[in-house]
Amino acid sequence: MVTDRTAPTETTILAAEVEGLLDSAEPHGVFRDTRECGAGLLLLALLLISPPTPRPKTDER
Amino acid sequence: MAEQAQGAVPLSAVIADAATGVALALRGEGDPYAVSRILRQGDAASLAALRVLGADALAPYALDHRVCPGGDDEMVVRQALTAYPPGTDASEVSVWSYRGLVEASHSYLSGGAEPWPQPPQAAAGWVTADPWPKLAHRVSQLAALALPGLAPGLADDLATRTDDLARGFVRAVRRRDWLQAAGVGRWLSRLPKVPQTLGLDAGLAFVRQMSDGEPRVAVHVAAAHRFYGRGW
Amino acid sequence: MTGGRGDPGLLDRMVGNSLGWLDGARPFFRLPPNVTTDADPNLTLKPLGELAELTQVIASLHPCAGIRETAGGLFAFAWGETRDGELFAELVRGEPFATYPVEIYGAFARAGRRNAAVEELLSTTARLRGWRVARDDHTRTLGVLNAERRIGLPQHADFDAVLGHTVLGRLPEPWALDRRAAYGVTHDVFHLTDWGRTPRRLTPDLAGYLRLWLPSWLESWLEEQLWDLAGELLAVSACLPDAPYDSAAWQRLAGAQAADGSVPETGTAPCPDDPAEAFTACYHSTLVTAFAGTLARIAAGPSAEGSGAAATDRRAPSAHPLRCESEAIP
Repeated sequence: MVTDRTAPTETTILAAEVEGLLDSAEPHGVFRDTRECGAGLLLLALLLISPPTPRPKTDER
Repeated sequence: MAEQAQGAVPLSAVIADAATGVALALRGEGDPYAVSRILRQGDAASLAALRVLGADALAPYALDHRVCPGGDDEMVVRQALTAYPPGTDASEVSVWSYRGLVEASHSYLSGGAEPWPQPPQAAAGWVTADPWPKLAHRVSQLAALALPGLAPGLADDLATRTDDLARGFVRAVRRRDWLQAAGVGRWLSRLPKVPQTLGLDAGLAFVRQMSDGEPRVAVHVAAAHRFYGRGW
Repeated sequence: MTGGRGDPGLLDRMVGNSLGWLDGARPFFRLPPNVTTDADPNLTLKPLGELAELTQVIASLHPCAGIRETAGGLFAFAWGETRDGELFAELVRGEPFATYPVEIYGAFARAGRRNAAVEELLSTTARLRGWRVARDDHTRTLGVLNAERRIGLPQHADFDAVLGHTVLGRLPEPWALDRRAAYGVTHDVFHLTDWGRTPRRLTPDLAGYLRLWLPSWLESWLEEQLWDLAGELLAVSACLPDAPYDSAAWQRLAGAQAADGSVPETGTAPCPDDPAEAFTACYHSTLVTAFAGTLARIAAGPSAEGSGAAATDRRAPSAHPLRCESEAIP
């Protein structure tokens, strides 16, 4: 490493960076669920009831 | 991102390199550890990285005290303490982290000719006041203090909120915040009476796998395993 | 999370507004003529079944007479839509091995709305060896067992043994719950406690596990703005002994409720250009909000002054008269 890093300005900049890293904000949550969970109706189907498909047709009765 | 000197390595990369060295040492792999080998004297970024890692830069010395008093290791730590003291407007996390580095110097680098500075006073009202999500985040920022013998008062205080920290671990994993999860998990490893249903051992292993080798996560998980026997 | 008595005013407003919206949504709960054949059951029978299940809880347990009346009206409307149960006979004849007609019929049978033809049919179909074949979804099996109990059919499996195979029964690592597993946990509790009526059926182990981890799940799914799941988790909280009341969580759910009383499934309320679409997007969360608000309301009731607020069966309000703020308001 050849760069002289001891210049006061660099230390000042780094000091601010150090503070920022030590007391960093929480990252935004990443929410990922299995694609099995799906969205919309597939999800709804998990709830109270999830009737089987296919269903009988009128002409089969 | 702060302005970088031309050709300089970003601070985050210096930290990551140093953390990798610490994690290897805690796992008993690689060359014998010397903080002065991975973080150079007189190099501002190295000293800044040491300040950010805090007590963790000295964590391998908690395993075996093979440090030469007055040597390069002691020098680089003294330089970091001098170069980056917490300012008057520093966050509580910054003060605590600095305190952790000073305490670790006392504990693991003792015997030099010059005495180490006294640890600064650090407020602990947040331990009881913070709502649990905030508490868990803050505790994860102070994961380096979860080392044998360091911050005994803080450990006692945190033991009153073990269940809340365990909830924070759950939340962090749900949010895929692996660094926070590892940090909280590491503190939980040190605390008594962690709820059995949390599955802390599996949780630490899970976080290590999911983080895909992130060096600071690796340090936390390795420390939990090496010092407190938690995780796989 | 505190063990306080909750905020009856807020809870009653939320329940009342939810029921108001649901009452106005009756046209969308109506069953189409092809309900037993071509119609999508997820858009027809499922909403009606949920309406019946949850309004019956509210109608029998809520301390406010006005709320009980609205909920009871909706429950009677749902029974009317089944043509006093004749619908179930048609469904069973069409799909004799399906469990969902039994599950939905059970919600009515529990309240004394019964149909002799249906029970005649079920006395045969629910006794088949085929009926006893384990389902791959243990939580659903609990639902079927609960329906059998309600209708008076023989239990086709041991409830506790099946519970042991569910998500809740296995006490999974709380950080390993995904959305699907979380819905599993809430429904395991609902089936076990007969939708909050018999919270004492929660063993100390299960209650302890839930008490410990519900706050982190609630926080997580409130942040994700999955309002129906958050509501279900609040309902589960209300089933715990000395039910904890999470004031901040209730405030956040209240914030998701639109001025018209509807609660969207996720995120913010949709622009209801298409009323049918708005119904589909909101009916479930709105029902869950009314249900959870009712359980939280009675959990904070008079017996909370003593120990073990939720340790006994929940009774009809006449046995535990509660003051009802909303009734003082015209």
